[in-house]
Amino acid sequence: MEANRLYKLNRDKLDQVLDIWNENSSVYIPVGKGRDIQLLPLGEGERTEDYINLTLPVKEMVFEQKEGLFKWTRDEEGIHVEGLAHQHSKDRILFGVRACDTYGVAYTDRFYLGEFPDPNYKSRRTETTIVAVNCLRAGEHCFCTSVGTGVFSTVGHDLALTPFDSHYLVEVGTPKGQGLIDRAQTFFTETDEGMLKEKNNLMARVEESFPLKMDLTNLWDDMAKTFNADFWLDEAHACIGCTGCTNVCPTCTCFNVVEENTDEDHGQRVRYWDSCQIDHFTRNAEHHNPRDAVSRVRYRIYDKLKYIEERFGYKGCSGCGRCTDVCPTYISIIDIIGKIQEAARENPEPPAIHQITKIRHEIMDREIKSQNGLFSPDVATITRVKQETPEIKRLFMKYDDPELHKNYEHKGQFFQVTVFGEGEVPLSIPYGPEMTDELVFDFKNVGSVTEKLFQMKEGDKVGLRGPYGRAFPYESLKGRNLIFIGSGVAMAPLRTIIEPVMSNHADFKQVYVMASALRYEKLLYKEEMLEWAKVPNLTVKYALKYPTDKVDAYSGYVNDLLPDLDLDWTETTALLCASPERIKKLARDLMDLGMKPTNILVTLETHMRCGAGKCGHCKVGSHYMCVDGPVFNYEEMMALPNEY
Amino acid sequence: MNDLSDAEMILVIGSNTTEQHPLASTRIFEALDKGAELYVVDPRKIRLTDFAHGYAPIEPGTNLPMINAMIHVIIEEDLINEEFIKNRTENYEEMKESVKDCTPEWAQSISKVPADTIRQFARKYATTDKAMIIFTMGVTQQTTAVKSIRALANLAMITGHVGRPSTGINPLRGQNNVQGAGDMGALPDFLPGYQRPEWPETKEHFSKIWGDFSCLRGNNIIQMFNLIDEGIMKAAYIVGENPVLSDPDQTHTMHCLEKVPFLVVQDIFFTETAEYADVVLPAASFLEREGTYTNTDRRVQMIHKVIEPIGDSKPDWEIIAEIMKRIGMDANYEGPSDIMDELNEAAEIYGGITHDRIREVGLQWPCLTKEHPGTPILHVGEFKRGKGLFTVNDFEYIGDQRSEEYPFILTTGRVTHMYHTGTMTRKVWTLALEYPEGFVEIHTKDAEELGIKDHQPIRITSARGSIVAPALITNRINEKTLFVPFHFAESPANRLTGQNLDPIINIPALKVSAVRIEVE
Ligand SMILES: Cc1cc2nc3c(=O)[nH]c(=O)nc-3n(C[C@H](O)[C@H](O)[C@H](O)COP(=O)(O)OP(=O)(O)OC[C@H]3O[C@@H](n4cnc5c(N)ncnc54)[C@H](O)[C@@H]3O)c2cc1C
Ligand code: SF4
Ligand code: SF4
Ligand code: SF4
Ligand code: FES
Repeated sequence: MEANRLYKLNRDKLDQVLDIWNENSSVYIPVGKGRDIQLLPLGEGERTEDYINLTLPVKEMVFEQKEGLFKWTRDEEGIHVEGLAHQHSKDRILFGVRACDTYGVAYTDRFYLGEFPDPNYKSRRTETTIVAVNCLRAGEHCFCTSVGTGVFSTVGHDLALTPFDSHYLVEVGTPKGQGLIDRAQTFFTETDEGMLKEKNNLMARVEESFPLKMDLTNLWDDMAKTFNADFWLDEAHACIGCTGCTNVCPTCTCFNVVEENTDEDHGQRVRYWDSCQIDHFTRNAEHHNPRDAVSRVRYRIYDKLKYIEERFGYKGCSGCGRCTDVCPTYISIIDIIGKIQEAARENPEPPAIHQITKIRHEIMDREIKSQNGLFSPDVATITRVKQETPEIKRLFMKYDDPELHKNYEHKGQFFQVTVFGEGEVPLSIPYGPEMTDELVFDFKNVGSVTEKLFQMKEGDKVGLRGPYGRAFPYESLKGRNLIFIGSGVAMAPLRTIIEPVMSNHADFKQVYVMASALRYEKLLYKEEMLEWAKVPNLTVKYALKYPTDKVDAYSGYVNDLLPDLDLDWTETTALLCASPERIKKLARDLMDLGMKPTNILVTLETHMRCGAGKCGHCKVGSHYMCVDGPVFNYEEMMALPNEY
Repeated sequence: MNDLSDAEMILVIGSNTTEQHPLASTRIFEALDKGAELYVVDPRKIRLTDFAHGYAPIEPGTNLPMINAMIHVIIEEDLINEEFIKNRTENYEEMKESVKDCTPEWAQSISKVPADTIRQFARKYATTDKAMIIFTMGVTQQTTAVKSIRALANLAMITGHVGRPSTGINPLRGQNNVQGAGDMGALPDFLPGYQRPEWPETKEHFSKIWGDFSCLRGNNIIQMFNLIDEGIMKAAYIVGENPVLSDPDQTHTMHCLEKVPFLVVQDIFFTETAEYADVVLPAASFLEREGTYTNTDRRVQMIHKVIEPIGDSKPDWEIIAEIMKRIGMDANYEGPSDIMDELNEAAEIYGGITHDRIREVGLQWPCLTKEHPGTPILHVGEFKRGKGLFTVNDFEYIGDQRSEEYPFILTTGRVTHMYHTGTMTRKVWTLALEYPEGFVEIHTKDAEELGIKDHQPIRITSARGSIVAPALITNRINEKTLFVPFHFAESPANRLTGQNLDPIINIPALKVSAVRIEVE
């Protein structure tokens, strides 16, 4: 970092400086006693210097516990959507932040502002200035020096103050920080590098005094050897899912969304802090939950100690110790580190493949062209409804703003579809790039939002965000044999490829569509399949549990049909959409036939809320199913922890 | 509470401490960390059993035989604390005689806890210096509630586990302020400070403060509903309580609420009970008012107002004061601290507790004067009544039992993420998502036998009524035993529970109902 300017400020002048800053901004200062310290606006409490840390990380000021995302109104003309990203208090100066929290902010900046930038965070953050005050003593569970994020602030602050007996050493971190100096210039005396030596001596003394020191050099190796260690079960038994640990963590970024309606025609979508420590965080339809009690507790620890750093290059744990302080059942990340190291020493497992495979860190940089920002949907009107099966419907729709169709880029795998006042669900794109003035979704009625969608008719309005996600790689399929396998509504995501393949069938060799269901009536795209089968190099095969007289169908599993297909399996790509267990069974059979795992493409549809790598619900290991997936090849899938 | 973390043995009976009193359970974990041993008695393998050194999977409603058998073992194996018994108690011989036949084998035949487990519990409890008993509704919501608690007192006294740090029998309170409500005389048989209406000095004492008043014992909630049913009670004023979901025998409760000529409900939300009210008075939540709560530890603590009351709502004390004024009484309170001042005079145990003294840290009653430091441990050196009295508590079956028609025993309770009848917690997004609906816990073997699949809705029927809820198959519950949380209005556990009462204090046996299952 370029050498920043240094100043001295007399300690007894600090309050005057804060008053000056407060003239044009709102200054927040630490107020309280013992462990009960919060940032309050200047004047609302007595400023304290006697505190270890703020009770809640300063993150709460830029990523608030509850924030409005957008509001909507319905009138005769239609539905109007207005983003709420900018609804918050303006220009705040947060004074007295500790190094673990400034580090946390440096990470959350990276997290929220990278890739799909989060409009709410961005707006709050731009209006926030952070003044760090370095610690001279450690709390019982502080271990920032062990993770390397403290003890003195190095990132994330605009100004950093180090307290000496009669003065503060003031380091400028950013132009915003310099701006603060300029506003109260007379109180700051510029000083030179000489002071830094004093600061480093002081820092060494403070570090020396830390009660907790851990050697974390080989931690990732140790973690790879203890993924299934016994002690995880004890931790899992203890956790009551109170979410305390994630609520107090400066690097926890996850949220859920909910609708708050004033009446039938007015409402807003809000987001609020969510936690991977509770069951419903990853719960999917039909009670499928990819994480059990052990993986839930383990996930937080892996995320903090490894996944975040692996993906974003920042420490996921800044060593603030808050989660250990707060846990009612004494689950302590510090103890767990000890247990990991001990188990790795005494009882190592063969390293877990998903912990040692080098992984991709690819997030598609793709600004979503929503008029109101990332989280606000664009309004579309339903043009046609088709009942596919008793539980599955097909909705055709057009954006209310025709410009959006012109700018539409057909990349991505799914949309986030909003039923205003009810909620939002991810739905796959079941059409090819040739659809330029209409959008279509096929969905099954399984719950609250899909139920409302199911009742919709021509002329009704929905909201759309997207497209999101990594799609099937259409171009790379050219010149190959293709086999599509999907059952029920799982055929929908495959149709996005089937459509263009149909239109350009000469580009492909032999193509099979394997349709499976309990009975013929439950099949999606029954009529279309009859059409598809007319394409010369395309064959549709049916595998049904119960016989039918409508088509020539095999009674039994799709797997049984595979060996008899006249395919050169090395020249074939398979596209599968099914439950993870089904995918595994199919992939094993296909590999037995000679396919390479990289030619087996799957989609992993975990619980998704935002679609844009922000809400955290869809994470598997350090991967976001919504942006890195949902499409993966089987080799990639196997390199993920089995938590999808 | 700090005592708990210094205990060397903790015996938890009928308390799902981790889930219902997470902060109390923190102390248990602290104690375990320091090497304490944990023993759990519960029909469900609650979370604590994962950390327990002993576990007794008891048949709901049969704690008493097990406790008596523990006493039997301790006497038989001569593990008693003779000195304590001699100096500090009376009536030992009679009690001893009464448990003569309560062998562990006899207890096993009733409570299904293996005789050797009972011996193990008894020996460990008797031979550990700092042994503490923790109990809650699992012991109290049955027909032998009082006897069971008295038997626990016997157990603590024969071993001298009373009146010293980290010993004693410790009920954990279900709510932040049950203790406080009791202290204030929100009980049918006490005036503030646990003064019995029938004691001659009581009336004299309170008349000095309030003037003349009717100083009579009241009726408890179960009796009141019956009086409504009989047409004797004509009006009811329900404050902060949702009996439609929380009281036993929902059908009866609803019938009474419908029948009562005049019903006032005062609550922070419009509850299922409020649906029946003639007048609903909106109360302010804890964030919108000042006052005190008294916790399990008898610690009186301040709450501070954070926001102004929303809408037309008012703090409960204000509403009550307004009503008092309208019926022509004096109610000249400026605020809760005036009420506390009156309490200083009214209840000796609160004599020295003022808002000023507890603004920072609470005080534990008895706190007799403005200088008194409060009392962290009760019964040091001497019991309140002088010597500890051993009681005779013979077991007999009262109320529901398994039968051919109702082969399962249903026990009710709560889940961590819900509070009581869900009036508040079901409105909190995260909590509501965690438990969107009720469920029935059923043992894997029973489910297999009946062909029940996980999450499949099943119908449970008792002599009182019938509900439907999805099955949750688990091996963490006794066989032939079901568990239903009572938070959910769609599958109200208390439609099944009955009016089997403890004959002494009339607490309903919510933890023991005989039921059958029908697969829908
Ligand atoms: C990338 C992706 C593509 C999908 N494509 C399709 C499709 O083309 N057609 C289709 O019918 N379905 C599709 N789904 C599934 C669909 O999103 C869920 O069925 C829907 O979200 C359920 O919402 P609900 O409000 O109707 O149900 P709810 O009442 O909310 O719940 C029903 C069940 O679904 C779970 N669930 C809720 N929200 C989500 C979520 N966002 N993601 C996953 N599970 C959730 C709940 O936990 C619950 O168990 C897709 C899912 C993903 C992740
Ligand atoms: S994981 Fe715990 S110690 Fe680490 S930053 Fe988060 S709250 Fe602090
Ligand atoms: S997934 Fe990671 S960031 Fe999200 S709540 Fe869990 S630990 Fe925190
Ligand atoms: S604070 Fe402890 S009990 Fe609560 S969710 Fe976190 S680990 Fe679980
Ligand atoms: S991060 Fe929100 S859905 Fe993936």
